[in-house]
Amino acid sequence: MNMTDNDVIVAEGVVKTYDDSGVPVHAVRGIDYTLGKGEFTAIIGPSGSGKTTFLNILAGLDTPTAGEVWLSGRQISDMSGKELSDFRRDHIGFIFQAYNLFPVLTVEENVEYVMLLQGVQPEERHERVMSILEKVGIADYAGRLPMQLSGGQQQRVAVARAMVSRPSLVIADEPTANLDSKTSGGLLDMMRRLNEDTGMTFLFSTHDEIVMKRARKIVILRDGRIDGKASPEEIK
Amino acid sequence: MFIRLVKFAWKIIWRNFRRTVITGLAVGLGLGSMMFTEGLMQGMIAHMIQTTTESWMGDAQIHRDGFLDTRNINLIIKRPDSTFSMLDSDSTVSCYTARILSPASVTSTTELKPVTLIGVDSETDPDVTMLEAAIDSGYYLSGDSTELIIGYKLALDLNAGLGDVIVITVAQAGSGLSSSMFFVSGICHFGSDNLDRYSAFVNLTAAGRMLGIQGEIHEIAVKFPQVEMGADTSLGFWNRFSVFGNNAVGWPELAPQVNSMLNMVDMSMAIMAAILFGLVVFGIVNSLFMSVYERMYEFGVMKAVGTRTGTITTMVVLEAFWIAVISTVIGIAIGLLTIWITSKTGISFGEIELSGVVFNKPIYPVLSLSRMWIYPLFTLILTTAAGVYPGIHAGRLNPAEAMRKSL
Repeated sequence: MNMTDNDVIVAEGVVKTYDDSGVPVHAVRGIDYTLGKGEFTAIIGPSGSGKTTFLNILAGLDTPTAGEVWLSGRQISDMSGKELSDFRRDHIGFIFQAYNLFPVLTVEENVEYVMLLQGVQPEERHERVMSILEKVGIADYAGRLPMQLSGGQQQRVAVARAMVSRPSLVIADEPTANLDSKTSGGLLDMMRRLNEDTGMTFLFSTHDEIVMKRARKIVILRDGRIDGKASPEEIK
Repeated sequence: MFIRLVKFAWKIIWRNFRRTVITGLAVGLGLGSMMFTEGLMQGMIAHMIQTTTESWMGDAQIHRDGFLDTRNINLIIKRPDSTFSMLDSDSTVSCYTARILSPASVTSTTELKPVTLIGVDSETDPDVTMLEAAIDSGYYLSGDSTELIIGYKLALDLNAGLGDVIVITVAQAGSGLSSSMFFVSGICHFGSDNLDRYSAFVNLTAAGRMLGIQGEIHEIAVKFPQVEMGADTSLGFWNRFSVFGNNAVGWPELAPQVNSMLNMVDMSMAIMAAILFGLVVFGIVNSLFMSVYERMYEFGVMKAVGTRTGTITTMVVLEAFWIAVISTVIGIAIGLLTIWITSKTGISFGEIELSGVVFNKPIYPVLSLSRMWIYPLFTLILTTAAGVYPGIHAGRLNPAEAMRKSL
């Protein structure tokens, strides 16, 4: 494994094969990939190209059939379930396409959830939650339940939740899939601004042109393999 | 963290208000019905004990050693006068009455029947037994040596009515037979076959004369201030009156069928509770699994952001705990309310006889907290424990798979 201090993720020979009622499905067919610190990179590709599976493997949510994944200097494919849980909690922030906030918790409670798992003290939790909510522009809604917010506002809460624990990497799977183009653009602008302000690394999958335009780097995935890399201008 | 999980679990169970209320009502109804059944059983037992002790037996009896087993008329109580003096001065004794008992045959103009001849002290007997109150027609014993009270069933068997002549024949103490003529002065109705068909009551002196044991007795029936004292083996009474070759015993020994009934009730309740709580556990497991499957994606997200397996398991168990608390509160309310209402109105079973005891009056369920606390406690523990299996299942979900499956 060849990982430098400037790398967040190094993946070598990653393969993922599912068994679908006895029929092998090759979702990822041997990917070598390195993601540098502070990047704002989009993985694009048609449906079924393996984007979500590859992101899940990089995030330690799924195990590769073959290959190795190193994240922040540690090989995550060898970790136990408990180690992996703690590692995800401390190093990775997640943004999902359907927001996936806990519906019974308020915005503030949703955002502080990971810090609660980390054992952060209540005063610090509150301070950090309010600070990140200010940054994503929804501090006024801290006491509301997710169902009282619009889709765009909910996704901003999801961004706040992903970033509040100061992870090394934020992974977003189709973050704008459920948003209209105007809201999507606003959300991406905000994420990019946060990336610039904090230096936090963002990796997201998408097939949304608005997202692609705002990415700094683009990785093209096709049939479970990297089919090339491009800049947003080249994609246009 | 734990307190937050407790609050989190409380909020989660109300996400599906209808399911939580239906589950709570189902478990609560089960608990309430167990409590009510326990109350009804206690009411039946209290009725059995009361009927058995108040109608005839008394709370305790004193006999000569061996009399209860053999019914030998020669086994008369030793030193009866000393025993009476002791009973008069004993603070645990409310009242008592002496009796003579003997197998006999009663003959009317048309029929002959075997009975137990019972010599009754007509002055003290009304304090201890219900004989006087059980007289349907005629009058109670006044001391006349020819008076006879028989049960209504025996009267039918003998084709005899008030004022008819009945001849009673007994074997005398020592040897020989003795026959005397009596007039039916009263007909009683206890509701018990033993007393209504197989007993004949005469004055104590008349019975003593027939048996040739004037001034002697076979049995002293004793009443305590509370009927429970008759079952209290630590009571000093038993030792104080098991002297001179006599033996004092309480109602559990005198009426073993009542004791058997008590044991049977305990066993029945245990079996019922096992079945009911088994159903409760399966119901809760099913309800929680439905909830877990509905929230598959959410559990996937929770795991993805770093929630440990144990934390998710704990949360599902806490959801079960809150359902248990709600169910227990509903169950206690239903149980107490139904017991309270029926303890005022009573429940009539018509006139059924069980273990020799007739239930001819309404049964009033009894609220016995010393026995009932076990049901809510079991509901709380088992319903909470029912959350462990779905909790472990939720905790072990693979986050990627959970999110993929629920999409």
